[in-house]
Amino acid sequence: MRLFEALVVIIAMCVPFVAMKSSDLTAYIYWTLVSAAYLIFIALRRW
Amino acid sequence: MFIYALILYLIIGTAIAFLATKRISTDEEYFIAGRRVGGIISALTYAATTYSAFMMIGLVGLTYLSGVGALGFELFYLVGTLMLLSYYAPKIWKMSKEKGLVTPGDLFTVRYGPRVAKVLAVVVALALIPYTSLQFVGISLLLSREIDFASGIIFSAIITALWAFLGGMRSVAWTDAISGVFMMFMAIFPTFYAFQMLPDRDFSKLGELLYVPNSFWRYDVFIAYTLPWFFFALTNPQVVQRIFIPKDIKSLKRMVILFGFYGLFYTVFVTFIGLQLRLLTEYGVFPRISDRDLVMLKFLELLPPWLSVLVALSIFAAAITTADSIVLTLSSMFTRDLLNNRSVLAGRILVVLTTVAIAVFAIQRPAYIVDLAVMSSTILLCQLPLILGIFHWNFGKEFSAIVTLITGFSIAIFLYYTKLTLGIPIPVWVLIFSFAVFFLSAEIEKRFIVHT
Repeated sequence: MRLFEALVVIIAMCVPFVAMKSSDLTAYIYWTLVSAAYLIFIALRRW
Repeated sequence: MFIYALILYLIIGTAIAFLATKRISTDEEYFIAGRRVGGIISALTYAATTYSAFMMIGLVGLTYLSGVGALGFELFYLVGTLMLLSYYAPKIWKMSKEKGLVTPGDLFTVRYGPRVAKVLAVVVALALIPYTSLQFVGISLLLSREIDFASGIIFSAIITALWAFLGGMRSVAWTDAISGVFMMFMAIFPTFYAFQMLPDRDFSKLGELLYVPNSFWRYDVFIAYTLPWFFFALTNPQVVQRIFIPKDIKSLKRMVILFGFYGLFYTVFVTFIGLQLRLLTEYGVFPRISDRDLVMLKFLELLPPWLSVLVALSIFAAAITTADSIVLTLSSMFTRDLLNNRSVLAGRILVVLTTVAIAVFAIQRPAYIVDLAVMSSTILLCQLPLILGIFHWNFGKEFSAIVTLITGFSIAIFLYYTKLTLGIPIPVWVLIFSFAVFFLSAEIEKRFIVHT
């Protein structure tokens, strides 16, 4: 389960390398949102 | 004005260090504050230890030079840390409490024996002395208008040693907490100042800096930067030791989550400063700077004097809080792991000696700030199989652990200086060799070496 979680997060963080070539802040905002979402997930999950 | 602000900061920091001194009676009190630190202070000391002068000098410059990839690199570190801490930190904390662990080397002693902790202390020292010297170099660059380079290094060394010497972990954690809050505010103000300087918000002028890969962030470069930092939470002893200090499991969880929020905001603000400064360069408002370590220092000249002084002070604070945390951790490893000594006095003497060694290295001003920081973390990657072995594998004992540490360390140094990498990033080589050597030597150990 933890391995799957790690895999999903790493793949999500790699997306800008293959799918974001726009001349705006899309990649910047995307990375920030993915990190924030993972942080919220960690905060809400039972330890 | 900067000197007055600096003196005020030093008076406050030293007063805190003196206050903390009163309560020290054992080395457990001195090195890990008696395991009685609350979640918020733990989070702030974790953040201030992690986020050094590298952020406001190195990362601003790296973003200015290379674009949004710098944010990706730093956020990869953050999610990696959250991933590792949310899984391993409760296990490490529980083990440290049950077995009375004080140094990161004690973790290794429990599983691999005391000789491994001795080898680890040497490897860690060789890796962290260059990393810590960066903090002193950063301070000297910052003070270059007031004093010469060598004097800046000596000044940094005296403050670092003094705060760690007097109060140990408690004073380091308290000064870290105050500095951590200050650092966050001093990342926010310049971000908004740069934003209002922009004549227009047309970020498309940045071209290839807005995406990855680009001419800087090739795949191999991104991996080379990111991989060592991804495992930073498990391989850098100064942050591993901070897992021991929360007073209970609730405080530990609070430490991890609050650190995560701190790291996210701090990283976004710092990288956005770099991105905006580059856009200001494209508009002709900010000069084009080729030495990335000088970008933030140039920006300080454009800020209002009061803000410039406060931001410079926050960079100073970031450097000192990282340096004294590392010095304290190194001295704990030298005292307990290397010399088998449990006295607070020995710990204090080693705080001074360690700081002197770092200052001597710093005065020689080696290479680029970011490259050197990454090299230190690359060397420390050789511990990873051993750390995972503690929690996941039964094989591998003293022999395998020592062989792995020495081989991983040697490979990192050899490849860094010879560049014989075949186009593969050095951290990848270090990980491959370290894991391969660990598995192989564990098999040899199982078959041919009898442990008493």
